[in-house]
Amino acid sequence: MEYDLHKLTKRASFPFETIAVGLSFSPRMAPVLVEAKKIADACNSKLILIHVGEKTKEKSKELEDILFKNNIEERKVKIIWTEGDVVDTILKLCKLNIVDLLILGALEKESILRFYMGSPARTLSRKAKCSVLLLTQDKLVSYPQQKVLVKVDLDHPKTAHSINTAQYFAKVMGIKEISMVREMHAPAMAMTMADSSSAPEVTKLKKEFSESESSKLHSIVSKCDTGLIKINEKIVKGKPGYAIRQYAETKKADLLVINSPDMNLTLFDRIFTHDIEYILAELPCNLLIVHSRI
Amino acid sequence: MSKFTHNDLIVLLTAIGVILILSRIISELGRKFKFPIVMGEIVVGILLGPTILGTLSPDFFERIFPKDGTVSIAFDGLVNLAVVLLLFVAGLEVQLPLVLKQGKTAIYTSFFGMIVPFVTGFAAAYYFPFLLGHNIKGDMFFSIFIGTALSVSALPVIARILMDMNLFKSNIGMLIIASAMFSDLVAWLIFSFLLAMQNPDESMSAVHTILYILGFGLFMLTIGKKIIDRSLPWIQTKLSWPGGVLSISIGVCLLCAAFTEKINIHAILGAFIAGIAFGDSVHLHEKAREIIHQFITNIFAPLFFVSIGLRVNFFDSFDVVVVVVILLLSFFGKVLGASFGAYLGGIKLKNSLAVGFGLNARGAMEIILGTLALNAGLISQKIFVALVVMALVTSLTSAPMIRKFYSEPSN
Repeated sequence: MEYDLHKLTKRASFPFETIAVGLSFSPRMAPVLVEAKKIADACNSKLILIHVGEKTKEKSKELEDILFKNNIEERKVKIIWTEGDVVDTILKLCKLNIVDLLILGALEKESILRFYMGSPARTLSRKAKCSVLLLTQDKLVSYPQQKVLVKVDLDHPKTAHSINTAQYFAKVMGIKEISMVREMHAPAMAMTMADSSSAPEVTKLKKEFSESESSKLHSIVSKCDTGLIKINEKIVKGKPGYAIRQYAETKKADLLVINSPDMNLTLFDRIFTHDIEYILAELPCNLLIVHSRI
Repeated sequence: MSKFTHNDLIVLLTAIGVILILSRIISELGRKFKFPIVMGEIVVGILLGPTILGTLSPDFFERIFPKDGTVSIAFDGLVNLAVVLLLFVAGLEVQLPLVLKQGKTAIYTSFFGMIVPFVTGFAAAYYFPFLLGHNIKGDMFFSIFIGTALSVSALPVIARILMDMNLFKSNIGMLIIASAMFSDLVAWLIFSFLLAMQNPDESMSAVHTILYILGFGLFMLTIGKKIIDRSLPWIQTKLSWPGGVLSISIGVCLLCAAFTEKINIHAILGAFIAGIAFGDSVHLHEKAREIIHQFITNIFAPLFFVSIGLRVNFFDSFDVVVVVVILLLSFFGKVLGASFGAYLGGIKLKNSLAVGFGLNARGAMEIILGTLALNAGLISQKIFVALVVMALVTSLTSAPMIRKFYSEPSN
């Protein structure tokens, strides 16, 4: 397999020209396929279905039935049956087919052992060189009233791409409102204030800190061309990753949009928890990880 | 065995009361001039110790702070407890994910910010010990200690400076914080091993000691951390607030400290690792964290820092040459190393120097390290006094030097 790296390098994170779906033949496969079809139609994308595993008559029949029942014309989708390591094969196929968005079904929470060992969906989320949409049970991404949250990492070059991708997605899906969420975390602040601050100083420091974060968030959001989409701004306190997970759960969000990780995440990042691992450990809703090839 | 008498109790309580009240007054005065709190506490120690009170009124000094006897033993116990708790709160703020998140810039800055001062300090102490008032050439333990002492950074002082300068959440600010956390972690690890190697336990081989500590560290930072993380929501909601979380966290800290002391690694390492395990939990309420800090920083820190002045005569042990050499080594090694690391990591030259001077603040961490080394017989009082002076000078010069070199990114 040879990749056309020229086409991949600096390719914009949107529009989603090619969407791939990982087929697992689990009970969740049908709803995932239906959602993928709706997104592909809205984005006017090519749809590729990938199954890594043995092609049996039963599997072929099951897939045919699902496609037929949901009015997905087989001739309009590309179906790839292949064998090998699930993660490596899907990653290779995504590169080969210049996939912009990989859609996978995922459990909200996995057992501790499975989480630390790494399930295919989670591992692909960490390693994929394209954007990944993890669809959890009971949450749809194809209706306009859904609550969309975007995790805004100030000063990070990927953030602008994630915001723009979220807006693109909202626009094509007819979503009217997006919340931009900034997590406010100040390591060593408690120690510093305990050392040498009076009560009014502590209050003032906390207030100034919070106002400064709000103003930075506003300045980033105001630079984006949001069109007709209503944008809300929110500051949440807590450790990055965990704080937004909690917020998404509380607000019963439908979709959370985040930057892709900057480095290859390993078991080490699950032990000394990286931001994204707090979210992957317990998905609060559907998750769109935007990979900007910058 | 001598008993702790009615009079002993009166003396001990009076001493603690005087220390707490005086250090608060002097520290608050110093705060008006932006001096670190620890400086006020050291000054109180100098005032109450052999340097001033002991010279002016030796009998009175001996009555309140006796050198021997049950009061002295009880006070030493309290000071040991204080240092264990201080390391626990230092660990609470070490967040390894933050270091990893800062990526190669933080790794380069931490690495060179540690290795350059360590090597320069080690080389100076190993080859030219007379410059440091030390008579033995090629003293390995002494040289490793000087290297370690010059590598450490003071997170609370640095965080305060960055907060005052409104740089706390900037990229440079987070880089400095992450690098300081990493330096602290490595320095305390090296120092704990050093203490263990210097006072070997005959019943336990060095290999066993190292295996024990690795096993303990690994357990606390993986399974232990997970257990703490899972238990904290229950502790904070089902037990009385904030008493529950305060007693459980400090209890775990003391048990970990006892364990590391038992395996011949100093108690401070157990407390430090327990702090990291608690501090990394997302379930530790911010309020709980503040209460733990307030309790330890305002009750136990003064006891510890004042006790330093009670033991050492700062005038007698002040050696200009040693102080100047330590100051030169500390500025040269830390500023050069950390700046070079930050520059390699992609920070512009002037801002790299701001990072270097930011990490140069040594503050309380240096003084704790020095005190433990003095108690262990690793260093002389002259070096100890020089380290205290260096800790204060580097803390005071850090902010103006950051201001001088830092420039806002153009975009």
